[in-house]
Amino acid sequence: MILFLQSLISGILIGGVYALIGIGLTIIFGVMRVINFAHGDIMMVGMYMTYFLFTLFGIDPFVSVLITIPMMFIFGGIMQKLFINRILGSLPQNQILLTIGLGLIMSNSAMLAFTSDYKILTTSYSSSSYRLAGLSISKPLAISFLITVAITAILYWFLMRTDTGQAIRATAQDREAAQLMGINVKRMSVLAFGIGSAMAGTAGALISPTYYIFPQVGSAFTLKAFVITVLGGMGSIVGATLGGVIIGVVESMGAAYISSDWKDVVVFTIFLLVLLIKPSGLMGTSRT
Amino acid sequence: MNHPGILHNRHGASPLAIIAFIAIVALLIAFPGFVESPYARHIMVLLFLSTIMGESWNIIGGYTGQYSVGHAAYFGAGAYGTLIVMNAAQFDQDKLLELKDLAQDSHLSALLLSAHYLHPWTGVLVGMLAALTLSLIIGSICFRLRGPYFVLASIAVAEIVRISVLNLSDLTQGAEGILISDLPPIIIGGRTITDFSTKVPFYYIGLGLVLLTILVTWLVQNSKLGYFFQAIREDQDAAHSLGISLTFYKNSALAISAVLTSLAGSFYAIYIKFIDPTTVLSLDLSVQIVLISIIGGIGTIYGPVVGALVLVPLSEILRSNYLGESLVNSGLVNPDSAVGNFLTENLSHAHVLIYGILVVLVILFMPEGVLGFIRKIMAKKRLGRS
Amino acid sequence: MAILEIKHVSKFFGGLAANSDVSFEINPGMIMGLIGPNGAGKTTLFNCITGYYPPSKGEVIFDGRRMNGLQPDKVCKLGMARTWQKVRPLAKMSVVDNVMVGALCRTNSLKLAREMAMEQVRVVRLEHRSNFLAGGLPIGERKKLEVARVLATQPKLLLLDEVMGGLNPAESEEIIQLILDIRKLGITQMVIEHDMKAIMRISDRIVVLNSGEKLAEGTPDEIVNNPEVVAAYLGSE
Repeated sequence: MILFLQSLISGILIGGVYALIGIGLTIIFGVMRVINFAHGDIMMVGMYMTYFLFTLFGIDPFVSVLITIPMMFIFGGIMQKLFINRILGSLPQNQILLTIGLGLIMSNSAMLAFTSDYKILTTSYSSSSYRLAGLSISKPLAISFLITVAITAILYWFLMRTDTGQAIRATAQDREAAQLMGINVKRMSVLAFGIGSAMAGTAGALISPTYYIFPQVGSAFTLKAFVITVLGGMGSIVGATLGGVIIGVVESMGAAYISSDWKDVVVFTIFLLVLLIKPSGLMGTSRT
Repeated sequence: MNHPGILHNRHGASPLAIIAFIAIVALLIAFPGFVESPYARHIMVLLFLSTIMGESWNIIGGYTGQYSVGHAAYFGAGAYGTLIVMNAAQFDQDKLLELKDLAQDSHLSALLLSAHYLHPWTGVLVGMLAALTLSLIIGSICFRLRGPYFVLASIAVAEIVRISVLNLSDLTQGAEGILISDLPPIIIGGRTITDFSTKVPFYYIGLGLVLLTILVTWLVQNSKLGYFFQAIREDQDAAHSLGISLTFYKNSALAISAVLTSLAGSFYAIYIKFIDPTTVLSLDLSVQIVLISIIGGIGTIYGPVVGALVLVPLSEILRSNYLGESLVNSGLVNPDSAVGNFLTENLSHAHVLIYGILVVLVILFMPEGVLGFIRKIMAKKRLGRS
Repeated sequence: MAILEIKHVSKFFGGLAANSDVSFEINPGMIMGLIGPNGAGKTTLFNCITGYYPPSKGEVIFDGRRMNGLQPDKVCKLGMARTWQKVRPLAKMSVVDNVMVGALCRTNSLKLAREMAMEQVRVVRLEHRSNFLAGGLPIGERKKLEVARVLATQPKLLLLDEVMGGLNPAESEEIIQLILDIRKLGITQMVIEHDMKAIMRISDRIVVLNSGEKLAEGTPDEIVNNPEVVAAYLGSE
C-alpha cells in the first residue's frame, strides 16, 4: 500500500512537469498543425539556461523561472518567424523533418558549446524531502509541482479570459474562419510557438534540480511529449494536462511494479494502443 | 505555345545513361587496385553504407510516401542477428572440436559436426528474417495510421525494440554491446577470404550491396509495384479506389525496405565489429537514414546516392576534425587558447550538427532534394535556351 | 436483373443521419442521375456503396453480390469504380501513368497496361497531354483524366461524382458527350450532378435525395414536375 501511494504521489508530481511539456506541444499543434519534434530540445535549452543562471549568478532554479519564461518565449517566437512560418503549408512530413533538423542543431550546438558531459545542478534542497504519513515527498519535485499548477492556472486564465487568448483558441479551432473574422493568424502562430517554447523551457527549468543536464536530454522528452498530447487528444489543453499526469503515474507505477528498465515500454505500448483504438485521444474531438 | 503543365521526363534509361552507369561501376570495381590508402577505402565503405541505407528507406519513404522514422529497428535486427549468430557459431565450433577429441568414432564426429555446425554467416539471414517479421508486425500496427500519426507510431515501435534489446541482455549483452574479435572466413565465388585487414573485402561487399539495392529499386520502379507504391504516395484514397489494396502494398514496400535495411545493419556490424543499442538502434540513426534520401531527393533511384555523397564527406570532415586541426596547425589559432581547445576537442563530437543544418536548408530551400534542385535548374536552362 | 440494388441504406455519423433508409435499383446500361441540395447525402451514399464507409444499416448488392464491408479496392476489382468530387490526380505522375495505375488493376504487364491506358486517354481526348504531369493540368483536363483512370479499371458500373463541377459550358458539353459515349460502351453509370439541365439531358432515371432521405425517383420529366422536388430545391435556396 505504501509502495502504491508512494508511486502515485511521485507520479503525480513528475506528471505536473510532463503536463507542462505536453501543453506546450499541444498549443503549437493546435494553432499551427505542426508537430514540433524540437520540443524536447527547446526544453534542453531551458535546462542549460537555468543551470547557468544558477552557477554563474547564483539564481535559484525556481526563481529563475521568472527569467526563463520570457527568454524562452522570445526564443520560440524567433524560431517560428525564421523557420516554422515558412513551411506552414507544406507536407506534414517536411514540417516534421524541419523541426527534427532544428532539434539536431540545438542539441549539437549545445554539445559544441558545453560538451556532452552530464551536468548536475545541486541546490541545498536537491535531495531533501518532506515526510508525510510514512511517505517521502521530494522537496524539489513538490515545489516544481506547485509552480506547474500556478503556471497552468495562469495559462488557462489567459486562454479563456483574455482577448488574445480567445483569438489563439479561435485560430486553433479553425484557422480560416479565424482569419475571416479578422484575427491576425500569423501573429497568433508566433505567440503560440512562443508560449509553447516557454512552457517547454519552464519544464526544463523545473526539473533541472532533479535531472541530469546534457545536450541529448531532449529526445526522450520529445517522445514523452508526443505520448502525452496524443493520449490527451492533439490540440486539447485539458487533455495534455490529464495526459501528463497519467503518463507520470504510469511511469512511476511501471517502475515500481514491473521494473524501471521496462517503464518506457509500458508508456509506448499505451501510446500505440491509444493511436489504434482512440486516435483522437481522451479529450480530442474525432477527426473528420 | 502556352503549356498548362510541366512536361514529364520518363525515367527510361537512355543509352548514354547506361554507358555512364557501366563506366562508373567499372571505375568503382577498379578503385581498390590503385588506391591503397585505408582511409580512402574507409570513406568509400561509409559511402556505400549510407547509400544502402538511403536506397532501402527510399522504397517505403520515397516511393510509397510512408515516412518511417523507425528504420533503426531493421538496421539493428540485421546487426544483432549477424553478430549474435556469429558468436554462437564460434562457440559451437569450439565445443564441437572438444567433442571430436572425445568421440573415438570419426564417423560419429563428422555427423555431429554436420548436424550441429551453425554456419557463422547464417546470422545475416537470421537478421533479414527478423527484420521481415518485425516489418510485418510494425506494418500491421502502424499502417492503420496516416501522416504524422504514422511517423509517431513508427518511432514508438522502434523505441520499444531498442529498449527491449537493451534489457534482454542474456541474448544481446545489453548496454555493453557485442564485440567480435575475428571474422570467420567468407567464401565468395569459390575463393575463401580470411584477410579482412585490407578493407578490400568490405569494399566489394559494400559495392555489391549498393548495386543490389539499386537493382531492387530499379525493378520496383519498372513494375506494377512501383506504380502502385507511387499512387499510394500521391493519394491513398484515390489509389484505394483504383483497386490497390493499401494494406498489401504498403506492407510489401515496408518488407522490401526492411530486409534491405537489415543487410545494411549486417554490413555495418561486420565492418565495425562492435554494436550496441545506442549505435545501431537509436532514434538518431533512424533520422539519419531518412535524411540521406531527403537530402538527395526522394522517390528517385539516384537520390540516395547523391544524399550519401553530400552527407558522408561533410560529416567525416567534422568527425575527423580536419577543420579544427587544420586551423590550429596552420597557426591561425593558438592550440592552447580557449578557441583552439574548442576546435580540437568539441568540434569532432558535433558531426551530427551538419545533418541538422543540411536538413533545415534542404527543407526550406530545396524541398525536392539536391537532385530535384539540379533538375529544376537544368530544366530552367533548357527552357531559356529554346 | 438490376446491376445495383440499394436496400434501406442508412449511414449515421454520431447521432446525425447522413443517409436514412435509401432504396433504389439501377438496371444495366442505364444512366441514373442522383441529385439533391447541398448536404443531401449524395457523396456519403457513394462512399457507402464503394466501401469507404460501411453502411450503418441496409444492404448494397452489386451484380448479385452483397458489398457491405468490402474494401474499396475489392469493390473496384469487382467492377464498380468511382470518381471524386474534388479531383484526386496522382500529381507527380504523368497523365498516362495515372491511367496505367487504373489499368494495372486488370493486368500485371506494364506494356499491356500502357496500351490500355493510351486507349482510355484517347477516349477522353487527352492524348496531347499524355506525358504531362497530372498535377499541372487545368481543372477541365483533370476531370477528364479522372474519368480515363476509372475507365481503365474496366468497370461495369461507373459512379461519377460531379464531373462537371467547376467547368465552363464548353468543357461541360465535352463531359456530357463523354458520358454518352461511355453509355455506348455498355457501361452503366450513376451520376451526381448539380447542373440540372445537364442531368435532365443525360439521365434515364433520377433519384432525388433531401436531408439524407430519398425524396423522389422517376424519369427526368416526372422529376421536374414533382412538386415536392421543386419545393425542396426552392426551400434550400
